[in-house]
Amino acid sequence: MQANLPPSSSDRFRIVILGGGTAGWMCAAALVRQLDPADYSLTLIESDDIGTVGVGEATLPHIKTFNDMLGLDEAEFLRDTRGSIKLGIEFVGWNRPDDRYIHPFGTFGEPWAGVDFQHSWTRARLAGCDVGSLQDYSYAIALARANGFEFPSEDTSSIRSTYSYAYHFDAGLYAAFLRDWATTRGVHRIEGQVMDVGRDAGGGHVESLTLKSGETLAGDLFVDCSGFRSLLVGQTIGTGWRDWSQWLPCDRALAVPCERVAPLTPYTRATAQRGGWIWRIPLQHRTGNGHVFSSSFCTEDDAHATLMGGIDAPALAEPRLLRFQAGRRAQAWAGNCVAIGLAGGFLEPLESTSIFLIQAAVTDLVDLIPTRATGIDPRLAAEFNRLFEIHYDRARDFVVLHYAANARVGEPLWDHVRTMALPDTLAHKIALFEECAAAPEYTLGLFSRDSWLSVLEGQRVLPRAWNRLADRIPLDTLETRLNDLRARIAVNAADTPSHAAFLAAYCGEVELERAR
Amino acid sequence: MSAPTRIVVAGRDTALWLGAVMLARALEPVGVTVAAVELPAMTGPADVHATLPPLEALHNRIGIDEAALLRTVGGCFSLGHNFTDASGTVPAFLHAYGAAGASIADRDFFAYWLKARRYGLPVPLEEFSLAAAAARHGRLLIPNEETERYGRSDYGYHLPAAAYAQSLRSLAGKAGITICSARTVRPVLDSETGDIAALDTESGRVEGDLFVDATGPEAALIAAIDPARESWRALFPADRVLAACGPGIAPLPVYAEGRAWDGGWTALHPAIGRTHVVQAYASDACSDDAALDRARSVSGLALDDATIRTLDPGRRTAWRRNCIAIGEAACVFDPVHGVELHAIQLGLVQLLAGFPAGNGGYELRRAEYNRVIHAAFDRVRDFQSAHYALARYAGGFWARGREAPRPEAVTHAIDLFRARGMVPPFEEESFLPDSWRALFVGHGIVPDSYPPAVDRTPPDEVKAQLRRMLGFVREQVLKAPTHDQYLARIMVKPLS
Repeated sequence: MQANLPPSSSDRFRIVILGGGTAGWMCAAALVRQLDPADYSLTLIESDDIGTVGVGEATLPHIKTFNDMLGLDEAEFLRDTRGSIKLGIEFVGWNRPDDRYIHPFGTFGEPWAGVDFQHSWTRARLAGCDVGSLQDYSYAIALARANGFEFPSEDTSSIRSTYSYAYHFDAGLYAAFLRDWATTRGVHRIEGQVMDVGRDAGGGHVESLTLKSGETLAGDLFVDCSGFRSLLVGQTIGTGWRDWSQWLPCDRALAVPCERVAPLTPYTRATAQRGGWIWRIPLQHRTGNGHVFSSSFCTEDDAHATLMGGIDAPALAEPRLLRFQAGRRAQAWAGNCVAIGLAGGFLEPLESTSIFLIQAAVTDLVDLIPTRATGIDPRLAAEFNRLFEIHYDRARDFVVLHYAANARVGEPLWDHVRTMALPDTLAHKIALFEECAAAPEYTLGLFSRDSWLSVLEGQRVLPRAWNRLADRIPLDTLETRLNDLRARIAVNAADTPSHAAFLAAYCGEVELERAR
Repeated sequence: MSAPTRIVVAGRDTALWLGAVMLARALEPVGVTVAAVELPAMTGPADVHATLPPLEALHNRIGIDEAALLRTVGGCFSLGHNFTDASGTVPAFLHAYGAAGASIADRDFFAYWLKARRYGLPVPLEEFSLAAAAARHGRLLIPNEETERYGRSDYGYHLPAAAYAQSLRSLAGKAGITICSARTVRPVLDSETGDIAALDTESGRVEGDLFVDATGPEAALIAAIDPARESWRALFPADRVLAACGPGIAPLPVYAEGRAWDGGWTALHPAIGRTHVVQAYASDACSDDAALDRARSVSGLALDDATIRTLDPGRRTAWRRNCIAIGEAACVFDPVHGVELHAIQLGLVQLLAGFPAGNGGYELRRAEYNRVIHAAFDRVRDFQSAHYALARYAGGFWARGREAPRPEAVTHAIDLFRARGMVPPFEEESFLPDSWRALFVGHGIVPDSYPPAVDRTPPDEVKAQLRRMLGFVREQVLKAPTHDQYLARIMVKPLS
């Protein structure tokens, strides 16, 4: 390992990462782990004067793959980031004000007669059987409702194997954790603020960044992790912006931490409000809260009042305001600059997509990174941009679904999003599910079939028909199987350690109530 | 609209019988009846299906026993397709139905191979593939736990087409399918809805709710609803396909072999006691008589039963109103890579992935079916298009292939592979990255770079792993029976 080697050697390909938030440090850590220091130099510029947004304190299960790739110890990671376990997201009031459902990181039921479970469930429901909610057929949901956690079983025949998990953590601590990790492995960190961007004669490529200190940093590839400012790809190169505010009108958030309360829930909560929604993210040492709202439908004062009235413990700070706009860059990789994280696009944190979108971009960048020999190669950038579009656009459809399928009649924001014209791709998915219970399935990008099922059924989008192959099981047999499955889930979920007890045992020094 | 309960499959040959049997097996238990309207066969004794690995799963699904099938139809196994130059100029490559190499340090094998080659490793990609190595040695590798840990190793078949269709037809009788034989079929459209109400044949009218068009390129049912068709004529150089039959080859090869010549290509598909020859060429550069002469000289076989048909690649909207076209009625492919049966399978599997129930109609389901199946067909076409775009053989036929317009996704895939040795992932892809790599490498692309992350693995560790892999492949291949030995074993009908 080489520690803090300055990127002076000109035979190395020089990568400069601008910005040291979650995106910047995830990128730096992955690159230093995957690239040979003899061939690449890595420099990250961050400014102590510029705050990071610290988005995405809640994550998706994919983060574990990222941490494993770095070789992080999970217990140590949870301890250092004050993290907790996340089995899914509870949505409250998204259809009618008192509705609640969980989007779990797990499967619904089992495929019977060779067809996906929702077909059997739909058939029994339409036949008048007492099938309950689809929610009753997810072990992950039962475990979450019981505030329990243990590692998924490796026995794939067991109901206890039918889920995965993600984390809630302090994103600032995660970035700091990765900063230590990356700088001790050769990433050169520079404290400073960029005052000027030097471009080549043709005006295409960025050649250098000049800092407030007067220092000039030359590079071959610049990774723009400058957040909403999108200093290089947005401001300097000026690639187009695909604005999604027509579907996602929320453009502000007020964030506030509060003291933690028992029990420690192993899930995020997202509660719909008149002007938006409130998140609740339980960590070991505090609970993160925030109100995402639309300035067109809700004043900042109203949002403030709603947020402070909604938290379940004393606040630990004054609420902080964030401004944003939903959308993405037309191209994330333009010239020799690649935008990752908020510099590339933004989706509100409703489905914890931010860190995943960083991870996906970083993974693609590792595969497609130029070499000294190839230089900047538009063929590599084209693939990066193709995958970037797929990731953002598919995640967008899923987030928009939560708004579109609401029954909060009489509330202006909700009336607007219920009646707006949807992206064609989303309108087709919803209508298809209603017609025949087919849930979206694709291999690239978020989200899985089970995720779509949870939100569709959770927000009362219900199918009128099913795949006829499900009829190959006699109806009374099907009813018995459904009852057995529900019983199996309930019995197993009742017999697990609490989330708090799990964390205490796993991470050692966690002081938490052991009781559920 | 009520849910369909009467399916009529009209057509001929494999598409008809595979469609009827598969739908009946899946849907008869839920009260759907299947009737078959059988038109005169168009496949003759020379025709062959060179199938891809997924067919085995479909056979399992409808209860076809592999050994019994091969016994009945005189078929055999195929581990891949060897692409050669009849003039001996361009090096051969094998598109084997399996993975090449095993991952090292959790990173994909292929990038290590690219790097090793750059630094002088003289071992071809296919020597790391169990399927390819077995094919070269004339041995049949049946996957087991140990080989699966190393990498995927699959196989397809060479199935004499007429015998295969006959064997499916006999299953249709057992599956409770009503069979009506006819010389011609004419759809009767409902004047109000535009749906097919019934099929008129000279022996009477057959009514149904859902009609499956398995009539082949004629598309006798669906073209009556919508004659539109997207032509892929310009993308492919061949407009004629010749099929003929020659004597068997001993010992029996366990792969197909294509031989390129200046005006087209000739492929040999070994089967038991005979060799099926398929040849593609362009009629404006080669007369039919000359084509047969070339088939004889290039294959080196005495050929009989030769038939020639015209070829016009292209795709229709597969599901219109209450009519679903499968196989060549939906999409005609170039014969390269033997995708015809696979296309039938794609359609049937997709149809059963959402067979309508309830009374609410199936408009969206139909749109979804078309969206998915069109993407799947396009991906298969793209694999074939890439083949012609990259083939280096001499002659006007191949020059035409290289100069043909190509879909944007093909250009992108070739560009990315040239730049980095990576295969871009797409939805609804039939050919795994292993196949794309075999194609690209086989046609001589040497990528400009490889994913640099493999540089993190110490070269000595990589070398040791590569040696271990080659040893494993050799050991497994030598353990495997020859194709003839394996067939002799399964050709003996077990006592029951």
